[in-house]
Amino acid sequence: MEEDEFFGEKTFQHCCAEFIRHSQQIGDGWEWRTLKDSSEGYMCKTHFQIKPETLMSHSGASACVQTCLPIEEALELPLDDSEVTETTTGSQVIKYEYHVLYSCSYQVPVLYFRASFLDGRPLALKDIWERIHECYKTRLLQEPWDTITQQEHPILGQPFFVLHPCKTDEFMTPVLKNSQKINRSVNYITSWLSVVGPVVGLNLPLSYARAASEDE
Amino acid sequence: MAEEPESALQLPPSSTTDGEGPTEVSPETATPEPPSSAAVSPGTEEPAGDTKKKIDVLLKAVGDTPIMKTKKWAVERTRTIQGLIDFIKKFLKLVASEQLFIYVNQSFAPSPDQEVGTLYECFGSDGKLVLHYCKSQAWG
Repeated sequence: MEEDEFFGEKTFQHCCAEFIRHSQQIGDGWEWRTLKDSSEGYMCKTHFQIKPETLMSHSGASACVQTCLPIEEALELPLDDSEVTETTTGSQVIKYEYHVLYSCSYQVPVLYFRASFLDGRPLALKDIWERIHECYKTRLLQEPWDTITQQEHPILGQPFFVLHPCKTDEFMTPVLKNSQKINRSVNYITSWLSVVGPVVGLNLPLSYARAASEDE
Repeated sequence: MAEEPESALQLPPSSTTDGEGPTEVSPETATPEPPSSAAVSPGTEEPAGDTKKKIDVLLKAVGDTPIMKTKKWAVERTRTIQGLIDFIKKFLKLVASEQLFIYVNQSFAPSPDQEVGTLYECFGSDGKLVLHYCKSQAWG
């Protein structure tokens, strides 16, 4: 890591590159997108989820020991839109997009996301709320406007939901300090995303944990 | 500070009692862990197969998080991370606004539905699973 004291954009891009490298190894679908004629970029992933949610929520129950993939990977639909059909009788497919951008003002990564039905209808904030993991709901209901807001995507200019970055530093600092103490490097993006992702339905396969500690 | 005796305590079922006495609130000191033989919980039924066998979990605090007086716990394979978080929060008497995170490899937070048995298969060594826990005001 080039900067020890803070998480700069170069470090952000480096961590994303390492993260994506592992994603490619396990077929997890993350990609890097750059803005034309710019060094700015972001990481993104599209993920389809079948409703009702109970089908997808039991990760790890019979995970493959070698690769540690949660069971929901096996149920994930292919990314090609034409192969995804909405089944009859009330079950629905929801398309989630997750974007990881760098915030210059907070100097941390930020998670942008949006969700839509296959016919293109976007999910409203209240629909998003319903799909948030039970264990986070109490906390979020206490102060929803503090943590998930709707904002314009800084690069695409479209409305996305955002997990507010103001508290990121607070929970990341002990992890980073600890890693310095034990002299082991940590991929900031992997650690950060493992914490914030599950709040909005994004669960990282366990193999990312091993990849991060094998780097460098 | 006196170390806990070798035997791992049973992780109580969800309706936990808080009869553990005052929590140690001290900055974490780098005390070396004593060598541990496989800790066996008293009163455990011998399992018919692996699926019933409990996992020995060692809980370690990160940063300014209070250290648990009892660090070694025997946990059912199917206990989820979220279940463990709820237990530690009650044990440490955290208030509702405080969040608790659990990490494997001191850096990666498994999803709340992840089971201890799976984590042990992936990250366990020397017959136990080491998990680090850290509290924070918020996660966002």
